[in-house]
Amino acid sequence: MWEFIVRSLDASTIFTIAALSELLGQRSGVLNVGVEGVMLFGATIGFMVAQTTGSYLLGFLAGIAIGGLIGLLHGFFSITLGSDQVVNGMGIWILGFGLTTYIGYPYTGPLGMERIPNVIGLSPFFFIGVALIIIAWFVLTKTSLGLRIRSVGENPSVAEVSGINVTRTRYLSVITSGMLMGFAGAIYSLDYNPVWSNDFLMGWGFIALALVFFSMWNPYILLGGSILFGTLWQLSLNPQLVLPDLMSRYIWRTVPFTITVGALMLMSTEWFRARWGAAKPEALGQPYIKD
Amino acid sequence: MLLESLKRGDTVLEARGITKRFPGVLANDRIDFEIKAGEVHAILGENGAGKTTLMNILFGLYQPDEGEIYLYGKKVNFRSPLDAIDMGIGMVHQNRKLIPAHTVIENIILGHPRAGNILNLKRTGKEITELCDRYGFKIDLKAKVWQLSEGEKQIVEILKALYRGAKILILDEPTSALAPPETKRLLESIRIMTRDELAIVPFITHKLPIVLEVSERVTVLRRGKVSARLETTGATEKSLAREMVGRDVIFRMERVEVEKGKPILQVENLSALNDKNVLALKDVSFSVQEGEIFGIAGVSGNGQQVLAEVLAGLRKAQGGKVLLDDANITHSPSLERWSKGIGYIPSERVDVGSIGDFSLVDNIAMNYYFDVDFTKGGIVNYKGLRKLTEEMISEYDVAAPSPDTMAKSLSGGNLQKLILARVLSRKPRLLIANLPTQGLDVGATEFVQNKLMEAKKEKAGILLISEDLDEVLSLSDRVAPMYEGEFMGIIPGGEARREIVGSMMAGLKPKVEEI
Repeated sequence: MWEFIVRSLDASTIFTIAALSELLGQRSGVLNVGVEGVMLFGATIGFMVAQTTGSYLLGFLAGIAIGGLIGLLHGFFSITLGSDQVVNGMGIWILGFGLTTYIGYPYTGPLGMERIPNVIGLSPFFFIGVALIIIAWFVLTKTSLGLRIRSVGENPSVAEVSGINVTRTRYLSVITSGMLMGFAGAIYSLDYNPVWSNDFLMGWGFIALALVFFSMWNPYILLGGSILFGTLWQLSLNPQLVLPDLMSRYIWRTVPFTITVGALMLMSTEWFRARWGAAKPEALGQPYIKD
Repeated sequence: MLLESLKRGDTVLEARGITKRFPGVLANDRIDFEIKAGEVHAILGENGAGKTTLMNILFGLYQPDEGEIYLYGKKVNFRSPLDAIDMGIGMVHQNRKLIPAHTVIENIILGHPRAGNILNLKRTGKEITELCDRYGFKIDLKAKVWQLSEGEKQIVEILKALYRGAKILILDEPTSALAPPETKRLLESIRIMTRDELAIVPFITHKLPIVLEVSERVTVLRRGKVSARLETTGATEKSLAREMVGRDVIFRMERVEVEKGKPILQVENLSALNDKNVLALKDVSFSVQEGEIFGIAGVSGNGQQVLAEVLAGLRKAQGGKVLLDDANITHSPSLERWSKGIGYIPSERVDVGSIGDFSLVDNIAMNYYFDVDFTKGGIVNYKGLRKLTEEMISEYDVAAPSPDTMAKSLSGGNLQKLILARVLSRKPRLLIANLPTQGLDVGATEFVQNKLMEAKKEKAGILLISEDLDEVLSLSDRVAPMYEGEFMGIIPGGEARREIVGSMMAGLKPKVEEI
């Protein structure tokens, strides 16, 4: 049982950081549906660098850097060129999927490095994830930078007449967001499951994306949601640990996705929105083009 | 700071020979304008007279093609609104530049250089409260902006400008969305601000009495040029309107007495929810007779919109009955209502009243596609509709090059004329006119009001919803002031006293003898 909880929290950590990164971008008004793609980049490049150099630190830095670079690319298309953010994000996913399969293929197999030591039985990244949530909440609600980020996500033209550089603020968020996505990917391939194989993520990024909507753009609900989904995810992988022989493991495998679909459907109802007043950033997904 | 040394009567802002051209239009033609510390200097003009252009130039949004701006005697060159803000110019936008999801205080300090890295809401809150006390504003700093009334939002915008240190305050249509008591309070605050040597520049299209009440000088624009500069002492509403329009304007529409016929529309205990699922129309009962204009007065957001939508079949009624010519239509779909003789002029003429990317013919077709005269076996008779559109354009004096023009290229006034033509050409039994003249200039307003009167003469029943108290009072046979989804009473239009209807709109039920 303890092992199950630990594995669940490890999985939650990746959801937390990936979803938090998406939340950060979305609060500034930029939607990135290609979380999965950025994570694949971070995971693969991080894995390759760590294995080549034998250094976890360099591996993580490489994962963060490539994530930031993809974030910059997404920013260039969706902020500077004002293209459709959904299409652009899908492009990033397909690019990530294709390119990492190609460049990562020779690295198929285990990482072959000593595991990262645990802290009181848990992955150290769990604590980093919780700390990032607290920092993100503090920055978004208590600082003037956070106010600027939220305002460009709500109404960029208002932000502009208040003297805020919309482009710069959005780039800052999107690049930071990309770096965190790359970091989340690298945690997966260097710590959670240090084996490289073809398309190993299998939907983590998409669940992270859904978690942002689930969280109603609140970092704390996001943390709760991540833990819930991490547990479900773990349950779907090893149902026999908790509920032996209840259902086929193939059915268990679909549980997190089914719940995601259900939760998103519930949240998109008029009833739910009226009741909870989901705090969706008003300008989410809309490029800001000055006339 | 330089600004502190200003004395009453010093010229703070001077614009000389401002000229701005847009493709095909000379929006501003050598405009001179100046304002002194502690003065209210209004700029008056119809839509398209060049007011918005001038305002945007003063606020740094546009750069003039020719001419100079002097601030405190020094020549300045605004590259962006931020330059203007930094030099003490504050702008209170008509379409509020606020973030609804954020609190009042967050909106005020957004982008403020002194906000600091970590927000000190206690300190800034105290400073803002001091401003409020000084100028007589009442506002809850922790409230979210979407919860506020239009008047309160305006206060937030003013506070934002003042907190940024504005010495010159540009007010865009300051009273157009306010209830009479809110207007009164705003004017009071403006007076205190001028005592503090602030210079106030209201830009005004309608509501001429306000101009006379609050300002010392008026500059009137017409077709991009200054048509008059006057002191308000000695000016009258009529003289100002003449300068604006270039001809005499009939101010108070003469209410034509038409013999009332039988009731067309009967509404009994009607209730409905708004978009947020809150009961926004509560137990409303009234009737509209043939040859009658029934006016509903109220500040935006008090259930008028919900009522109009329920009557048009666009929103479900929660309870109550709607009868049209004694037939129950409470749950009839819109199309059935149009065929039975209801005509609807929605308040959102751009979003709901028309499709911008459609030609005028297509927009007219929207109200005719179901008409057997114009469609046979599912095929629309475009030839006939085109002819009809051409007739409407000439009869209603719509300034459009051809029936194939896109609706979005029409000005607000012309678009409204077209919508009016579309509805009235079907000779409706009942016309629901929701804010038919909002945002229109004096000329177009007069045109629309005339057409409503003509429809009344032809025995149509008209439900007129308006936020312009003068309009409702002068046009309506009976008036119902509406507040928070309820009628505060139904009173005869001719005898209604402005102050009483104004206070009813703000939620006070009058004593019977006062009416």
